[in-house]
Amino acid sequence: MIDLTAVRTTEGDVRAVADCYASGWLTMGPRTTQLEAAFAAATGADHAVALSSGTAALHLALQAAGVGPGDDVLLPALAHPAVDGLVRRLGATPVACDVVGPLDHGIDPADVARRLTPATRAVVVDHRWGYPVALPPLAALLRGRGMALIEDAAHAVLAAGVGGGDLTCWSLSATKQLVAGEGGVVTTPHAHHADRVRSLRSHAMTSVTWDRHRGHAESYDVVEVGFNYRIDEPRAALALHRLPRLADALAHRRARVRDYRLRLGALDGVLVPYDEEAVARGTHGAFGVLFADRGARDAVATALTAARIASTPLDADGDVDPRALPHASAVRERGLRLPLHEVLGPEDVERVCSVVAGAVAG
Amino acid sequence: MDAALDVVRSGDLGAGEATAAFEEAFAAHLGVRHVVAVASCTTALHLALLGLGVGPGDEVIVPSYTFVATAAAVRYCGAEPVFADVVGPRAPSLDPERVAALLTPRTRAVICVHFAGYAAAVHELRALCDAHGAALVEDAAHAPAARSTRGAALGSVGAVGCFSLFTNKVLSVGEGGMLSTDDPAIAAFARSPPPGFGARIDDPRSALASSRLGGLTADVAHRRRLTHRYRALLADVEGVTLPFAAADVDDSSCYVMPVMLEDPALQVGVRTGMSRRHAVQTSLLYPAIHEFTAYRDRRPRLPLPQTERCARSEITLPLFPHMTPGQQDRVVTALDDELRRAGR
Repeated sequence: MIDLTAVRTTEGDVRAVADCYASGWLTMGPRTTQLEAAFAAATGADHAVALSSGTAALHLALQAAGVGPGDDVLLPALAHPAVDGLVRRLGATPVACDVVGPLDHGIDPADVARRLTPATRAVVVDHRWGYPVALPPLAALLRGRGMALIEDAAHAVLAAGVGGGDLTCWSLSATKQLVAGEGGVVTTPHAHHADRVRSLRSHAMTSVTWDRHRGHAESYDVVEVGFNYRIDEPRAALALHRLPRLADALAHRRARVRDYRLRLGALDGVLVPYDEEAVARGTHGAFGVLFADRGARDAVATALTAARIASTPLDADGDVDPRALPHASAVRERGLRLPLHEVLGPEDVERVCSVVAGAVAG
Repeated sequence: MDAALDVVRSGDLGAGEATAAFEEAFAAHLGVRHVVAVASCTTALHLALLGLGVGPGDEVIVPSYTFVATAAAVRYCGAEPVFADVVGPRAPSLDPERVAALLTPRTRAVICVHFAGYAAAVHELRALCDAHGAALVEDAAHAPAARSTRGAALGSVGAVGCFSLFTNKVLSVGEGGMLSTDDPAIAAFARSPPPGFGARIDDPRSALASSRLGGLTADVAHRRRLTHRYRALLADVEGVTLPFAAADVDDSSCYVMPVMLEDPALQVGVRTGMSRRHAVQTSLLYPAIHEFTAYRDRRPRLPLPQTERCARSEITLPLFPHMTPGQQDRVVTALDDELRRAGR
């Protein structure tokens, strides 16, 4: 069986978690603080707040950006379904934008410009597959208009050019490059956003003296409706211990992506998105390719399943309107995610590619 | 602990086999059909309410004398938390009579809290809810191994029970929670909510929870012994009311040891003195939710005198399974000394 994702842990990782258990201190503490500092340093961020999940990161980033009832939030039509769900739950309206094209699955700045209105509160960028979307053109569109640029960097940890927006959301989930178990991080250059995310992470509780008149000198206040989006120490310990080896894990993924590209790029009926320059900059949270049409894609998926190789069609989350969003629609209909992880060897890639080659050859 | 480390060693950390095994074990422990392990008790409360169909325009009756998550979960759904008073310092849980007075056609659910691990009037509340067509949700964050007066496992009486695996809890892994129910539709909803909830737990935490569940009964038995001893020592301390009765202790999970001062004016001074002069840390469960900034625009429909009295007079004494008799004596001496200094 070749899985879509896999993680290899070391005895050092296990010891880091064991030490944390042995310390008896499991809720957020020194390891979480260290993880936040190390993650900020690794990504070049001013502020990092560790959270319970990547979804929590998206939620609190949207809320910190002020997204609420009556607002529009622009997002790529290929965004993770959680983004759409969160925008709606905040009472705002998700506005899907098309992606650049079959070879570039990032949000199209021209479509963003078309759909931007005074009601737009934020634009969410997804660094899909770990390929960095160019932020300056988008930042230029939003500048001075009170609109936030939010990045979903779940696939793009440590990628060059990622993290330049107002709020960047990272995932430490069990299938990502840097795993904690379930976990996430928000980074931001803005201290006020970091403070708000930190507050909302733990029910917006203050521990300061809030009402001496009542005599609650050692009590706390709750200043708004917050959440429990805390990470805990064992998860922070694991991510922290793995962080120094992350660059090697990313190089491994990049090497496998190059193996895939070399082999699949030579096949008729397979469209391999992006180019070598993007591959060099990307950090490859996942890998996907397009086929001639949905039928061809489904035939490949069926052949892979029969060969005990995991894959996921990109329309697993549903379709989008092909007239309004032609490129995103085509990517969903024709796209297939293939296995990519730190345990995947060149021989595994060869096995996947030979099954793909057989299927497209009919 | 070894089981959790084995999961880490396997590299397969997402919610899978260990989570399913923990859910099954906890369901058997409670005697319910379904348990769903999730990211936190807050998440469990949120999913419970959504699973029951709570939404904008609905009212949910909750105590104000509880952790803020109980009410926040109602607000996540766009519904209104309606605060009901607790019985009083000797029974700081929802008063069914106060709840009855607040029921309206919009009341969709009632959330009771088993404060400190002692049963709320859960059967009376269930009957009230059934008669009104509302659902009872049990916030059993404090009560993973506790019984009602009729011997029912707490968390198994209402339509849904919500539990916590938070670090200082009786059963702890760091962060985590569970939802218990006999209703397959609610369980299915909690298992796969719509995208955007971040509700998942992971296998290392579930494996740790499973192994700790094995020691839960012994742990709680020890907490009960310590609580009985505390009660005997505190019986001689003037100016203190003990919540609950000695007979309740053996049905409780004894999450914390709350005491209520007869003179609320002394709360801050006594806590400060215990900390500064005696190096005894206490906490405060809980400031009343309706007095928080985030809830000030929601005036309680009925006054909450007992809630305010409890919130102003409660002191939570240290209680942990490996506590020694000497440590307990020191805590009680510190409390007595500070009350004496304060002139009781």
